[in-house]
Amino acid sequence: MDLLEEYIKSGRIKLNKHKYHETVTVHDPCNYVRKSQMAFGDNMGEKTRWITKQCFDESLYREMCDDPMNNFCCGAGGGAWAMPYDEERLAYGKVKADQIKDTGAELVIAPCHNCRDQIMKGLPKVHDMGNYKETLYLWELVANCLEIEPWSEEEQAKAKELRDAQFERDGIELEEE
Amino acid sequence: MEPAIEVNRKNRKIPVAPEMADRCFTCGTCGGGCPATGLVPGWDARKAIRAIVFGLEQEVIDSKWPWVCTLCGRCQYQCPMGIQLMKTFRACRTARDRDKVPGPIHKGTMMNLERGNNLGIPRDDFLFLLADLGVEMENDEEQPTPGFYVPVDKEGANVIVTINSKEPFGEPDDMKFWWRIFYAAKEDWTVSSVNWEGVNWGLFSGDDESMKKQVARVIENARRLKCKTILYPE
Repeated sequence: MDLLEEYIKSGRIKLNKHKYHETVTVHDPCNYVRKSQMAFGDNMGEKTRWITKQCFDESLYREMCDDPMNNFCCGAGGGAWAMPYDEERLAYGKVKADQIKDTGAELVIAPCHNCRDQIMKGLPKVHDMGNYKETLYLWELVANCLEIEPWSEEEQAKAKELRDAQFERDGIELEEE
Repeated sequence: MEPAIEVNRKNRKIPVAPEMADRCFTCGTCGGGCPATGLVPGWDARKAIRAIVFGLEQEVIDSKWPWVCTLCGRCQYQCPMGIQLMKTFRACRTARDRDKVPGPIHKGTMMNLERGNNLGIPRDDFLFLLADLGVEMENDEEQPTPGFYVPVDKEGANVIVTINSKEPFGEPDDMKFWWRIFYAAKEDWTVSSVNWEGVNWGLFSGDDESMKKQVARVIENARRLKCKTILYPE
């Protein structure tokens, strides 16, 4: 998230604010928000929101909770996504599903692999989530809003040279070439 | 009269928190604000802490509670007495016999130590996948990125990236999100050909030793390749 913020602030990447027209809310992963704050003093909740708002018209943003530090776990944290207690995991997630429903948002931004799977593949199966349509990783959102400028011929040629050297070193042969 | 419970403060199975748990006011802030309350019959955060104070650690360790609790840390953050609930419940996970850790998180940790990632993806398959996806992304119809490839073991790169093994295993296209960002930012980045796993299940299984080994490997990759920044892409 620090890196994304740096790319945006320094102008190294440019984002299209009008790619999405849906309403959006942000989920706070426990490990990156509450636990990072407790362990390292990082304020990731604010960063996630700031980055999200660089990709949307401000009027589309819906807040999920009054304080990121007090936001609820998605229900799949601490390895629960992989554990055999599916019923408990989904029941736990009702709190998150209700939060999402209450915002009225269509998109949920999840800056964590695990939370994204729970919100995208777990919760909608068993809970009413209101207007909800889709969950995106934070970096997926940024990638989809990028305005990409192709590299110059020179940059491309240099990359190709490095790539070929790497493929030769690693014994990679691609079919097309 | 014999006491109903003899509390022995010296020989504890859960070493850190019980003394602190003595401070518990039993106010219920922890259990009251917890989405896991009511999911494990007989247990919630407050009851588990009280049980540990009374020397019933083994009952908590044997219960499902420390595993249905997601270690989200909300109770610990809000506890008015500063009791380290999350740390205590993780210690309960640590105290489980390893063959009784539920699900794949212990096996995945062992797999990681043996083969460098939780799912045991072989090095050659991994490198071929990265190369193949790179070409695919470069020639993408909607958003072409001419000149793109995935730099592997590139010495002196600015950013070294770990990878969540579920992506090369089951959702390979999802790796391209970050790759497109790197392309647009013209970042000098790389991926290690070995020990690239970014998911540390030792953290969740309560296995401190394995957790530290995995973290050490990520740092070792950065040192070997002389990279300045480690990116866990989440």
